[in-house]
Amino acid sequence: MKRSANARQSGAAPRGKRQTPKPAAPASETAPRSGARAQQTRFSSRLRAWGRHHRAMALDSLFRLVRYPLGNLLTMLAIAIALVLPAALWLTLDSAKLLDAELDESASLTVYLDMGIDAAQAARIEEAVSADGGVAQTRMISPEQGMADFQQSLGIDDTLAGLDDNPLPTSIVISPQDVEPAAMAELAERLEGVTGIDEVRVDLAWVERLRHLAALGRRVALALGVLFGFGVLLVVGNTIRLAVESRRREIEVVMLIGATHAFVRRPFLYSGAWYGAGGGLLALGLLALGNHWLSLPVAALAASYGASFTLPQLDVTGSTILLSCSILLGWLGAWLAVTRHLSSIRPR
Amino acid sequence: MIAFEHVGKRYGGRFDALAHLNFRVARGEMVFLTGHSGAGKSSLLRLIMRLEKPSRGRVVVAGHDIAQLHASQVPFYRRQIGVVFQDHQLLFDRSVFHNVSLPLEIQGVEPREAARRVRAALDKVGLLHREKALPIELSGGEQQRVGIARAVVNKPALLLADEPTGNLDPQLSADIMALFEDFNRIGTTVMIASHDLALIARLHHRILRLQDGRLVADEGAA
Repeated sequence: MKRSANARQSGAAPRGKRQTPKPAAPASETAPRSGARAQQTRFSSRLRAWGRHHRAMALDSLFRLVRYPLGNLLTMLAIAIALVLPAALWLTLDSAKLLDAELDESASLTVYLDMGIDAAQAARIEEAVSADGGVAQTRMISPEQGMADFQQSLGIDDTLAGLDDNPLPTSIVISPQDVEPAAMAELAERLEGVTGIDEVRVDLAWVERLRHLAALGRRVALALGVLFGFGVLLVVGNTIRLAVESRRREIEVVMLIGATHAFVRRPFLYSGAWYGAGGGLLALGLLALGNHWLSLPVAALAASYGASFTLPQLDVTGSTILLSCSILLGWLGAWLAVTRHLSSIRPR
Repeated sequence: MIAFEHVGKRYGGRFDALAHLNFRVARGEMVFLTGHSGAGKSSLLRLIMRLEKPSRGRVVVAGHDIAQLHASQVPFYRRQIGVVFQDHQLLFDRSVFHNVSLPLEIQGVEPREAARRVRAALDKVGLLHREKALPIELSGGEQQRVGIARAVVNKPALLLADEPTGNLDPQLSADIMALFEDFNRIGTTVMIASHDLALIARLHHRILRLQDGRLVADEGAA
């Protein structure tokens, strides 16, 4: 205001520095007042204006979303579905990792002694085995005990009772110090050299196979995650592209009167972030729903194997990560779409 | 304020929209730009707004060769120019008030200060009582005045107008021109493209006459 008063007095005479198109000073009411203080107030007022516009655009884009709930909900649902699949796979692998740990705990070698070795000899052999540095624990199973276990696991009592001799050897179950397959194989080789030991059995192939399977699963999950993340980008990008197109006139007008690209981009970036947030929340809901839906049959299945196994659920950290990724993808999709389109929009 | 130095603008490789333009407009001057449609009036204004760059020569505004401005500086340059368009370029989903406040919003002016300035601008064009109306509810003359209010709301040093009275009757046209003269009186440099020769002849300002992209007359220079 002060300046226009000056201008009125001086008429057409040259006026302040304001006419020079100095891009750094958009609102230069205070231009002539020098000193750090003026600089500071100008900077802080610009910062405030920036924050104000962010707030306004966050709300504005949210209102636009709510105004057309059905179409926007469908977009969010598409995002949610794209997120649920890799997330579910990841959860499953996570639970497989738990199984893996359990497996490690139960990893063991079984040593079968020569037939006809008596209890005293067996005890000596067990002692010798225990002395090996690679052995953590041993448990002796006598032929009688072995037979009893066998009968129980088969659910029969009499059939084997008809046998004259117990055909089972004494066996020792060994828990190794190191459950790595290579270490176990090495240990097995050492034990085979001990006199009185007939055979050492390690079910390494099975453990190995499971490990490979888990590694494969992790890669598949990662690939799916990348692929579906890309899908989210495309979904958001396409939606934002349409939004940009429908507001083309408005964009042209504001660019005509001096809006920066950042200013034009801002509402769309917030829209993208909102889509991501909505999609992420829906995905969390779908995951919870799926968990609920599958938990009963899974529990029944586990029980039939004599195991207790519950489906894993996303914890707070996992949920936060999923939601953050979703918001970030939405924002990024919007950024790509707007940036690509702004270059094609030129004010007439 | 504005200097054209051997400016030429060629579209599509063959057609010269503007050629050999040389003229200066001083600060605080009011200048009319006339010529038949297609004579290059709009192209000339587009060059000043830096919607386009000249093919030859230099366009200097306020001491700066504006072709040298980096793309990121262009928005800030445009904020110093108020532009009135023939087709108004108003946003029809926003009220008159919000249309006028748009430049201030873009510049991040604090809302209360912005409201004060918007009302001052609307008052100046006589539309304060219509601030809540949508542009569609206004007559052509009123819409044009909203466009003018938007162009002057951040007190630009330079005001450009492209056929601001294009579709208006003589009385309304005279009113609009009187408004521009008011702004010129407080020191704003004003440049108006118009083919309403009868009207601008009565106003006794400098007239630049374009024909086929060339400057053929510079009359009544101050």
